[in-house]
Amino acid sequence: MDFLPLAAPALPLDEAGKYVAGAYLVFMVLLVVYVAIMAAKLQRIERELRELATFAEARNAAEQVAPGRGEQVAASSASRPGAARGGGA
Amino acid sequence: MYGTGLRPLSIATVVLIAAALSLTFFYAPLDADQGFVQKIFYLHVPLAIVALLGFVAGGAFAIAHLRSGDRRWDAWSYVAIHMSVIFGVAVLLTGAIWAKASWGHWWVWDEPTLVSFLIVFLLYATYYPFRYAIEDPERQARYASVFAIAAGAFVPLNFMAVRMAESLVHPRTFATAEGGLPGSMMFTFLVSLAAMALLWVTLVKLELTAKSASGQLKRLRRALDAPAPGGGSRVAPEVS
Repeated sequence: MDFLPLAAPALPLDEAGKYVAGAYLVFMVLLVVYVAIMAAKLQRIERELRELATFAEARNAAEQVAPGRGEQVAASSASRPGAARGGGA
Repeated sequence: MYGTGLRPLSIATVVLIAAALSLTFFYAPLDADQGFVQKIFYLHVPLAIVALLGFVAGGAFAIAHLRSGDRRWDAWSYVAIHMSVIFGVAVLLTGAIWAKASWGHWWVWDEPTLVSFLIVFLLYATYYPFRYAIEDPERQARYASVFAIAAGAFVPLNFMAVRMAESLVHPRTFATAEGGLPGSMMFTFLVSLAAMALLWVTLVKLELTAKSASGQLKRLRRALDAPAPGGGSRVAPEVS
């Protein structure tokens, strides 16, 4: 079987090269954009998770200090960080 | 749960894509007819095949959802179709570039292969507004599954119709009277196809993992007695 670099230049920079580079570049850009969107999504999930963990820890601490007050903290959950932000997937 | 095995899968995908690119540019011989432009074939055709198979897989997952009532199958169906639509965008763009290089036009309307793929792509583009026009999550999942099954059945029918249509423009690469691809090109093509298939599987798993994490987050918020802001499933099916 022929090994291309021995038979022809590997990447000829003629007219065809621009189209081939363009096609592969389009694919790579799409891939990078998708991965970037997914990374942003995962960052948001991680941030919301951290906020919920903080909220849960604060509620537990409040319950330990004064049993029964946990319900009050839960009732005021709308004022916790991130409560007003959208949480859709 | 969905993230299990994602890391080795990602590594395998990167390795296989690198192998496919190496074979494409350093091993596969130049095409006698099209020359260097034919290298787009090793990207465009595997993308198209994987996208179409992904649509069919979306239909198969939808059947599993309707049979079992398990919402996880609906999530699989949604993500399979979502990923195939993204692959479809890549197919249309790389195809247009190849068409411009080979035929001098970005698009040819009298070529059945191109137009049929566009029809399939536009059909699946309607999946999103159709799905999210329904508020109730149960009905949304059920109707989306019916759509996915009907559209998934349309894909092979469409493919067969195109194969039966006569064309002098789009080359028939496989199973032609002239013998099809030579061995080295076929090997490169198969590795590229495997790479694209693996990429599709990896991205589907990544998407499902993100959706699962998002679903778990909503459950946690509910467990903490905190109302889910913008709740419901308007953007994507919830995965638990």
